[in-house]
Amino acid sequence: MPSIQLQRLVKRYGGLEVLHGIDLDMAENEFTVLVGPSGCGKSTTLRMLAGLESVSDGDIVVDGRSIAHLDPKDRDIAMVFQDYALYPHMNVARNMSFSLRLKKRPRDEIDRKVRATAEMLGLTPYLDRKPGELSGGQRQRVAMGRALCRDAGIFLFDEPLSNLDAKLRGQMRAELAMMRQSVRKNMVYVTHDQIEAMTLADRIVVMNGGHIQQQGTPSELFRRPVNRFVAGFLGSPPMNFLEAELVDDGGLHARGAGFSLRLPEDIVTRARKLGGGRATLGIRPSDLEYAPEAAPDRALDLRVIVSEYIGAQSVLICDCGGTRVTVEIKSETPIALGETLRFAARPEGLHLFDPETERAI
Amino acid sequence: MASAARPRANPAFYALIALLIFMSIGPVLLLLVNSLKLDVDITSGAGGLLFMPTIRNYETALCDILWYEPEHLRFCQIRFGGAFVNSIIIALVSTALTLVMGCMAAYALVRFRFMGRDSLSLSTLAVRMIPPAVLLVPVFGLWNNAFCLDNDYGLGAWWRDTFGGRGDVCLAGTHGGIILIYVAMNLPFVIWILQSFIVQVPRSLEEAARVDGAGPFQTFFIVVLPLIKPGLAAASIFTFRIAWNEYLLASALADRDTMTVPILIVNNASEFDGLGTIFATGMLLAIPPILFTLFASRQIITGMTAGAVKG
Ligand SMILES: Nc1ncnc2c1ncn2[C@@H]1O[C@H](COP(=O)(O)OP(=O)(O)O)[C@@H](O)[C@H]1O
Ligand SMILES: [Mg+2]
Repeated sequence: MPSIQLQRLVKRYGGLEVLHGIDLDMAENEFTVLVGPSGCGKSTTLRMLAGLESVSDGDIVVDGRSIAHLDPKDRDIAMVFQDYALYPHMNVARNMSFSLRLKKRPRDEIDRKVRATAEMLGLTPYLDRKPGELSGGQRQRVAMGRALCRDAGIFLFDEPLSNLDAKLRGQMRAELAMMRQSVRKNMVYVTHDQIEAMTLADRIVVMNGGHIQQQGTPSELFRRPVNRFVAGFLGSPPMNFLEAELVDDGGLHARGAGFSLRLPEDIVTRARKLGGGRATLGIRPSDLEYAPEAAPDRALDLRVIVSEYIGAQSVLICDCGGTRVTVEIKSETPIALGETLRFAARPEGLHLFDPETERAI
Repeated sequence: MASAARPRANPAFYALIALLIFMSIGPVLLLLVNSLKLDVDITSGAGGLLFMPTIRNYETALCDILWYEPEHLRFCQIRFGGAFVNSIIIALVSTALTLVMGCMAAYALVRFRFMGRDSLSLSTLAVRMIPPAVLLVPVFGLWNNAFCLDNDYGLGAWWRDTFGGRGDVCLAGTHGGIILIYVAMNLPFVIWILQSFIVQVPRSLEEAARVDGAGPFQTFFIVVLPLIKPGLAAASIFTFRIAWNEYLLASALADRDTMTVPILIVNNASEFDGLGTIFATGMLLAIPPILFTLFASRQIITGMTAGAVKG
């Protein structure tokens, strides 16, 4: 249940630096999700925490004690690997009890723990099977079970669901969220899937190119992304970006090809400091709403190119002066392809980014 | 279901299989049958299976290590039994040593990064290119002169007092001397074979073991070794057979007491009187490798690593 601090953590492979000083504080019992595109250094961070990669620079502090130079076995950490890494010559029960047996715990205690964990994960009928005789989803559970069976203080997960098919992944994600209720431990979870990140995390850490882009609660990051990368990474379908000019026309407007949106007050105060110029306007597809009667400075006029029906919602792919814009609407809204329609933008859904630094304004 | 879908096998196919089985088992069977016959029965050519089985031939062959004196022998002429025991000791010990050293060396070469790893890995194979005959003279010289204990004091003196003998105590003429050269001879190939098995063990398995609290040796013995059992079995069959059959080096290094079976047969060919004894020794010679191979090949189960990773 400890608190974990990563302090200016750097990783170099030879001359190549892949992590450029990661600073991260994880509170006790927090579920932290590291999320980012492939190759951004999530696994490397996690493996350094586990002790599987050496620390090139910086420090890892757990409960005020540096563990950067300890062996993995002395770190009191359990880890679930992306490819499961089950011991193929041991049956499920022995896989799960491996660590306890190494620690020479009493037999009845081991038995009790294995049974309880198997019960929780629905693995009881498979305790005598070898990993080779299990399906992908069952192997995944065994991998989880092996980690949960131990009383480790910290749990690490490296993309544990990425090898499952979509349906199973959704199911396991829900089970993980449920397990999270009963197991109050520090968990660090790595994924490239932003939905997993949003649903599971107490704290999301968005990484890119070996840097932390932003960290905070899922809703903080969703509502107030600090830069264009975070804004575009979280949320599905992703945020729309439109190039615009800031012009003062009786109130500050963002004007671009085919639109001129009046900016709400809170952005105006911040944008004024920059003193006009160019900006990137960001609007989430869910912040656009079909509204034929809306005022032109509150709305975008979009020509519908494709409509993707996904049940209660439909995703429209539209054109706005040469830029693709996606819109999420209720499926019953009457839409005809090829028509130009008016969509109102929610004022609190407007984001502005500096086109050079990509930082939020 | 699966068997119903399989096409009916052709009778000719079964005939071919039967023929092949007969061809491979036949000679061994003939050997066994004849080794149980008296010489008169063998030479009479009455062909057949009609005879009184006797273990007399085996008694003759093993007369020097039997705890009783067989009635039909006046005098124990060939020391086959002793050589047989020597062969078994040397083959088993050298195989065991080769495997222990080979699997550790192979693991280090595959998993650890150290200076000269690649050239070391390559040179293990290069050693294989040298025929053993090249080693004969230098090894003979070294074993007889360089690796000796002075018999005037220390360990050498104790050795002489305990076991007797004249001159210095040398590596030549001991079991250890022959075992050492067999280990050296087989190690490169075993390392090379085991490397290819160790490479296939997923790295994440070892990482999982380390995180689960296993030290480097526990990781190796509890996780890696069971997974390369097929490789160990293949390597052990190979080394056992070489050690069992080797003639050249053993003939140079062995003395009267450490002689292996191939040396004994060549040296004492003229003393084998009677076909029955020859058949019996042949049978005895064939049994250990057969047993060993059967035992080792049971360990070769394909798909040992199945299910380790995602799949
Ligand atoms: N052993 C290694 N040697 C050199 N570069 C590596 C090594 N392992 C990872 N990298 C590099 O480090 C970067 C981060 O990798 P990783 O942490 O695995 O990314 P991900 O976020 O997809 O898990 C990648 O660009 C990768 O190429
Ligand atoms: Mg990764």
